[in-house]
Amino acid sequence: MNPIFESNLLQTRRQFFGRSGLRLGGLGLTYLMGKDTLAAPDARVHPPIPGLPHFASKAKAVIYLHMNGGPSQLDTWDYKPGLQQWYDKDLPPSVQGGQRLTGMTSKQARFPVAPSLFKFAQHGKCGRWVSELLPHTAKHVDDIALIKTVHTNAINHDPACTFVMTGREVPGFASIGSWLSYGLGSESNDLPAFVVLTPKWSAKAQAQALFTRMWNSGFLPGKFSGVALRAVGDPVLYMQNPDGVSPANRRAMLDTLSQMNAHSFEKFGDPEIQTRISQYEMAFRMQTSVPELVDLKQESQATLDMYGPDVMKPGSFAASAILARRLIERGTRVVQVLHRGWDQHGNLPADIRLQCGDTDQPIGALLTDLKQRGLLDSTLIIWGGEFGRTVYSQGGLSQTNYGRDHHPRNFCMWMAGGGIKGGTTYGESDDFSYNIATDPAHLNDINATIMNQCGIDHERLTYKFAGLDARLTGVESQHPIKEIIG
Amino acid sequence: MTRAAPILCLLATSSLFAADKLSFNRDVRPILSENCFACHGFDSKKREAELRLDTAEGAYKSKDDLIPIKPGDLAKSAVWQRIITTDEDDLMPPTKSHKKLTQAQKDTLKLWIEQGASYQKHWAFEAPVAKTGMSIDAALAERQTKDRLSFADEADKETLIRRVAFTMTGLPPTLAEVDAFLKGQTYEAMVDSYMKSPRFGEEMAKHWLDVARYADTHGLHLDNERSMWAYRDWVVKAFNANLPFDQFTTWQIAGDLLPNATPDQITATGFSRCNVTTSEGGAIDEEYRHLYAVDRASTLTSAFMALTGGCAQCHDHKFDPLTTKEFYSLYAFFYSGADPAMDKNIASTEPYLKLPTSVQQKTLEAAVQAESKALQSLEAATAKVSYTDPATLKPAPDAQMLTEVIFDDSFPVGSEIKNTSRNPSAWESNPAYGTQSGHRVLKHAGGQFVEDVITMSLTPLTLPEAPRISIWARTDPLSTPRVLSIVMSGRRVFWGEEDALDGASFGAMTKVVHAGPLPKPGVWTLLSFDPISLDLKVGSRVASLSVQQVGGRVAWDLCTMTGEVKASADLLASFSLWWKAVSSGKKTPPEVPAPILKTLMTDPAQAKAPQSKHEDAKTAEASAAKAKEEREALLRFYLARVAHPANDDIAKKRLAWEEAQVNREAADYAIPGTMIFRDLETPRDTFIAMRGQYTKLGDQVEPGVPAVFPALKKADPAARATRLDLAKWLVAPENPMTARVTVNRFWQQVFGIGLVKTSHDFGSQGEPSSHPELLDHLAVSFQKSGWNVKALIKQLVMTQAFKQASPVESNLLSLDPENRLLARGPRTRLDAEQIRDNALFVSGLINLDMGGRGVRSYQPPNIWEPVGYGDSNTRYYLQDHGPALYRRSLYSFLKRTAPPPFMSNFDAPNREQSCIRRERSNTPMQALQLMNDVQHFEAARALAERVIFEGGKEDTTKLNWLFRSVLSRKPDANESMMLSAALAKQRLLYKTNLKAAENAIRTGESTPKNIAPATETASWTLIANLVLNLDETVTRN
Repeated sequence: MNPIFESNLLQTRRQFFGRSGLRLGGLGLTYLMGKDTLAAPDARVHPPIPGLPHFASKAKAVIYLHMNGGPSQLDTWDYKPGLQQWYDKDLPPSVQGGQRLTGMTSKQARFPVAPSLFKFAQHGKCGRWVSELLPHTAKHVDDIALIKTVHTNAINHDPACTFVMTGREVPGFASIGSWLSYGLGSESNDLPAFVVLTPKWSAKAQAQALFTRMWNSGFLPGKFSGVALRAVGDPVLYMQNPDGVSPANRRAMLDTLSQMNAHSFEKFGDPEIQTRISQYEMAFRMQTSVPELVDLKQESQATLDMYGPDVMKPGSFAASAILARRLIERGTRVVQVLHRGWDQHGNLPADIRLQCGDTDQPIGALLTDLKQRGLLDSTLIIWGGEFGRTVYSQGGLSQTNYGRDHHPRNFCMWMAGGGIKGGTTYGESDDFSYNIATDPAHLNDINATIMNQCGIDHERLTYKFAGLDARLTGVESQHPIKEIIG
Repeated sequence: MTRAAPILCLLATSSLFAADKLSFNRDVRPILSENCFACHGFDSKKREAELRLDTAEGAYKSKDDLIPIKPGDLAKSAVWQRIITTDEDDLMPPTKSHKKLTQAQKDTLKLWIEQGASYQKHWAFEAPVAKTGMSIDAALAERQTKDRLSFADEADKETLIRRVAFTMTGLPPTLAEVDAFLKGQTYEAMVDSYMKSPRFGEEMAKHWLDVARYADTHGLHLDNERSMWAYRDWVVKAFNANLPFDQFTTWQIAGDLLPNATPDQITATGFSRCNVTTSEGGAIDEEYRHLYAVDRASTLTSAFMALTGGCAQCHDHKFDPLTTKEFYSLYAFFYSGADPAMDKNIASTEPYLKLPTSVQQKTLEAAVQAESKALQSLEAATAKVSYTDPATLKPAPDAQMLTEVIFDDSFPVGSEIKNTSRNPSAWESNPAYGTQSGHRVLKHAGGQFVEDVITMSLTPLTLPEAPRISIWARTDPLSTPRVLSIVMSGRRVFWGEEDALDGASFGAMTKVVHAGPLPKPGVWTLLSFDPISLDLKVGSRVASLSVQQVGGRVAWDLCTMTGEVKASADLLASFSLWWKAVSSGKKTPPEVPAPILKTLMTDPAQAKAPQSKHEDAKTAEASAAKAKEEREALLRFYLARVAHPANDDIAKKRLAWEEAQVNREAADYAIPGTMIFRDLETPRDTFIAMRGQYTKLGDQVEPGVPAVFPALKKADPAARATRLDLAKWLVAPENPMTARVTVNRFWQQVFGIGLVKTSHDFGSQGEPSSHPELLDHLAVSFQKSGWNVKALIKQLVMTQAFKQASPVESNLLSLDPENRLLARGPRTRLDAEQIRDNALFVSGLINLDMGGRGVRSYQPPNIWEPVGYGDSNTRYYLQDHGPALYRRSLYSFLKRTAPPPFMSNFDAPNREQSCIRRERSNTPMQALQLMNDVQHFEAARALAERVIFEGGKEDTTKLNWLFRSVLSRKPDANESMMLSAALAKQRLLYKTNLKAAENAIRTGESTPKNIAPATETASWTLIANLVLNLDETVTRN
């Protein structure tokens, strides 16, 4: 990022606010209560930075479904029928290849192969094999590009979660959602550009932590951090007036506040004052727009039914999925849904069933819903975790139960919509889903692909940090995965 | 968009217009650094065409008959020709680099080559030179004249005192202070008074703690609580005591290595323990040892040298002369830290320094002595007691009712305790609500599941006939739990919500019994149950018991088991039964003296067994005598410490000993501690991690400093360099960095932006100083003053520049939007802490207590919960109550993975890494918070009541009082009119809605004083809320 751009950008934003600020003084505040007062269609509160998008974008919005903890590729998308014969046999050392293991299994006496307990069947025109755990998602395989050879650098949750979202293993860098909203701004004037949802989960084992750094702006300006849309308390922090303060009280207070701030501006001439006036007005608009956003009663019964029985439960994955659609409909740039509970070191079959029970139907519904509304083409959906899981069982292996340790060497992610070529598969793992056989895809390639679909050259969206032109995809050469782009 | 251009010209190329000779560092280096050095710079591995342009030698040296830069000759300068070429293939910078020179940059390069293309060493690496007789104001004024600017008029007194108060204390002035200043107190006297305030150290510490990345949790994975607040408090103390900055530096880097290091000096080394740490299952030690040392070395370089050392972790620095090897030489100072790679998720990860006050130390020593005396006395009393094992009596003695204490003020001797927090159990002495027995209670506090598992290895229980287990509990009315429960032998009995435990993974239970509702909050209640109802059998052994709670706060006291016991079957009466039971246990009990431990853990049958036949009679006799002796010693141990006391004297002495033990424990527990830095006895071999990867080690390195700087002077030239050598080097007179970096950071604090704007980066990628000579002058005079921080701050706030009025005309704004030239007073938004503290202060709610463990003030629900690891002790936010809610923000508990929104919303860093400069954003989320957050609205209510009570009779005097309390000045006529109208409007709205008014004034936990009708207080609350939201209120004007 060029400092001139940044300076220009600030200037642009200030000028915009400046204009609206002046109009404020001239016309009186009641005009600002409706969003129409921001009249001109190009009058965006969050414009893109100059020069962006770098090229025509396929995706206007991104919905990132992050399955936190590391879902097992072997039980979902990476079909390995040959493994049935390997049940409880040791993983051949030639396959294991001396790769590093976590401290949790490195001292295990044996590495017995645990074939998936779940049945796979072929779906769609593309004939993709999908686990019985994902019946609803399976209906959409022709819209989905599956990447079977994703790999990452980290082997433990904290650094791996940090890596998948910020491209670095250590804290301090900007998250992908922040990069996108920084670069592209937002279509919405009264909702945040980048929204994060953290739904509940059903697996019984201790769930891994999330970290606010996964949606933080890191070194980018703070306003590009993800805003949590919450299921408990105010949907957006501090949105609700205190008890006993009506919208009329608040409006009266804001009217005088704006007048007095405008008066201050006359005295000090500081453009920050005008920005503040606008931000208070935006805050007031959010007090209306957010409750409208989260009011699912506006949805038809058919739509609600499609998302499944949990959809009206606040904080469920189903509720998050439909909210994701409502957000991007209203111009939010990036929605991130982080679903915890996928860290199945033991008791995997039971817990993964519960996790898929939370997510599969809503994800299927989201894809259908977007398609029906003509939004799928312009919305990029990403599904995946921070790493995959081992083919060998952690702890005891039986005919009905097993666990799997962390496996960063290869795992599955998928993308759909937003110019992604449905029905394609990229990369193959070896017979044990332990190594990459063909076409590796580093997480940085995945991120480069996401940016590409949004019209961004990932090498050119940079920001000065710690003496470097920092970018999401790191210093090594990375490429969008052309094979899955339509 | 074009309005941005002038400032860039102003700083980078204004001399073009002034037709001066160009300065390489000021004018040319930034252009080359941005566009050329990545491929033609310092990093030898990335250098293209063997050409380097960062040195004169490289640039002038001809190669293949081409001279990259020929001074004074554009035509012969190949670099210039490549810049202006129209051939895409030859163009520099190359198209694929996405870099492009602007016309202005090209003009500068052209002129520079024409003028002789002279190079300079990067300014920051040259020792600062002071100009004699320079003053800050004169230097600023001189620079201003180049752009035909001059200082603005002095600000009015009200603005000045508020500006000074916030700069020096982080709080606004009181009305009395404003009045005193208006009535003739001199500016200097006013400044001095704030300098003396203890708030001064708090305000300075706030900035330094960002640099030091201080927080209250470990930061990674579980992100559990850590105890380092003594370090934070030391920083406050150091600033208040005006500890010279060279010592401030030395103590933090190497206080432990100073001769006869004091606790303060050792506490200060916590600076290098503030980095994030992990204890994630499966994490690899080598990886984290490496990461911690990288963080410590990078923090050092950015804090004291303003260099982005972290880059050199992977490759030679592209822009600055810091090689990878040099980075790892700095890293080597920290790689041998004695702290473990895994923090164990405990608060006191070693090395850990206990910090007793002298009273605490004496109390502890006395308690230790008293305990040993009590034990001696107890042992003496039991030494001569004759003992018959009831198990040998015939007929067996009758059963009798007996009550056994499971715990009261302490756990049974030889128990092992596991607490879910992973920290020691929390006992509280003499709570305000009293105890049921003794003087301590066991506390549980947690958002969700908390338990103490008591494993009674030395005193296992045997269920008697007609058994009953009882425990006293008192739940906190402000924070009631959802469930209380006791678990024994895989069975649970609980009180409270039946479904609270659903779905939670607390282990499978054989049986679960709901014993009833929760006890009434705030009242000691005896909870008891019949273990038989849990399908436990009489005579069965119970080796452990856990006391559990879900949510809220509970105090537990006096847990007992009552029943009919036959002495012959009682482990606490029959020595032989007890010995057999304990020796067959799986665990070795703690607290057993070593000499008898072996005997204790040997099966009594074995201990008595005849010796091998081959031994002669004498040996056999000797070993029998020894066995007898050992058995006797164990018996005496049993009689003294374990068994039911044999007589009243022993009972009394046992009690005395137990009390003495509790006193010693309490004295020990009361002593806080802090994580400190220390080296291993034998340093680890340290290697370069190739490309930053700990698994790929390169050459071995020794501790050392980068070659571009003056050499490190070792105290012992023959020995390995120490951290103390490093610290002394940092503050040595010849070191060009530390003083410059430090005065610049204080300048940034006072003026809102540094002389070097990139206060974290003085390297060639950073911005050059707007006033290089002034920065040098300040650095040198700071050193000469003995690194006197208070004198420096005073010097800055005493300047004409600082005292100017801050209003700005649009032409000056477009010329100098960031106010780098200071032709107007500084005007910046308050920091996160200042915004909250201001509201608390003017409302009178504030609690100015200093120091101690982080406090948990108001926080919306579900900030920690959706992100926290299931088993983290900071997963559930348990808010404090009472005066703790109103402590200064500096003392707020900071959980790194989910910091308090009032901090992050206003750009406070999450302290996961060092932060030298906060940004200042302006967002709708901030507006929502200032309007609606309970702490702000409660403050508005409290302020409204002050207005009504203290603000005089008339509305106008009240409005004046309110406005002055917050902004230190009276409202002007327009403002008075607007406020009066607003008040009338709110009154009108509340007039018809009493209910709403009553609700409005009940926000927050402090109760309204009811000094006016609710509608009146509510109306004024909205006006106070309005004033607290003004731009001028959240700004240092």
